Amino acid sequence: MTELDPVIHAQARLRVVASLSTLNVGDKIAFPRLQELLAMTAGNLSVHLRKLEEAGYVEISKTHRGRTPATLVGLSRRGRLAFEEYTETIRALLDPTSSKEQP
Amino acid sequence: MDLDDDSPPTDAAAALRLIQDQRSATARRLDPDARLLYWPWGVAWLVGFGLFFLRFAPGDRALVDLPSWLPLTVLFVLLAAAGTIQAVVSVRAYGQVSGDSARRGKWYGYAWALGSVSIYAGLGRISEHLPHDLAALLWSATAVGLTGALHMAGGAVWLDQDLFRLGVWISVINLVGAFAGPGWHPLIVAVAGGGGMLVAGAIARRRQQQRQQP
Repeated sequence: MTELDPVIHAQARLRVVASLSTLNVGDKIAFPRLQELLAMTAGNLSVHLRKLEEAGYVEISKTHRGRTPATLVGLSRRGRLAFEEYTETIRALLDPTSSKEQP
Repeated sequence: MDLDDDSPPTDAAAALRLIQDQRSATARRLDPDARLLYWPWGVAWLVGFGLFFLRFAPGDRALVDLPSWLPLTVLFVLLAAAGTIQAVVSVRAYGQVSGDSARRGKWYGYAWALGSVSIYAGLGRISEHLPHDLAALLWSATAVGLTGALHMAGGAVWLDQDLFRLGVWISVINLVGAFAGPGWHPLIVAVAGGGGMLVAGAIARRRQQQRQQP
């Protein structure tokens, strides 16, 4: 059986990555908006984002909107790929007949 | 911090459900209701150009005795309202998203603004020398033509089939209206153009709901 990516294979981080995957490639979302979409506390979301950033799955950039600092979060190319692979693996587990790894 | 949420989903089915639910919930919140983007413009055209036809019907007749300033005033008020609704809805949905999409949206907005100003500046100088009915046709055929072209361009930018088709439709009915002549053009734009936008909004909404289904 294929190993599931341990970084994504945790409920909270899976929700974060799934949410970010709906953004178009090249887009980022402001931290507070992401927090609101996920209904997570800021501290909780930060912890998970840090783990995802360490794995190279999300890119976090600090910028300014006018005078207020803003934190923007987006899925990296690697993160998008990891999420797609994870989803593929899950689908294959549920329906082994359609899996490409099947002989 | 919730320790539980660091645990993996109970099984593959739960993981897939979680992915689908989260993606559709996010898409629902980040995609504004398509009807709010199409319908206000459709109503503006239907009512605004409709009143124009009733007041300035073919052959310089007035089918309904309205004050001559009313149709254009109503049209512009409704267009301004539609623009405001579009701006508010878009900012609420995409306001916190930045990057390539935001840049496309901004540039597309500039195309509308600058394109309109540059065209109308020229029209204004010509139309003062034309009789009223021809001036009206020149203005509305140009405005509707620009709208059709920019809708097609928008369809190309976002690879949005509905938007592109609406642009084609608007361009074609504009052509028909221009050949039908003064007086008839506003009727065609009101019914086929405004109605077309209402239909396009309903189609776009249905497509959106299918997309957002978990």
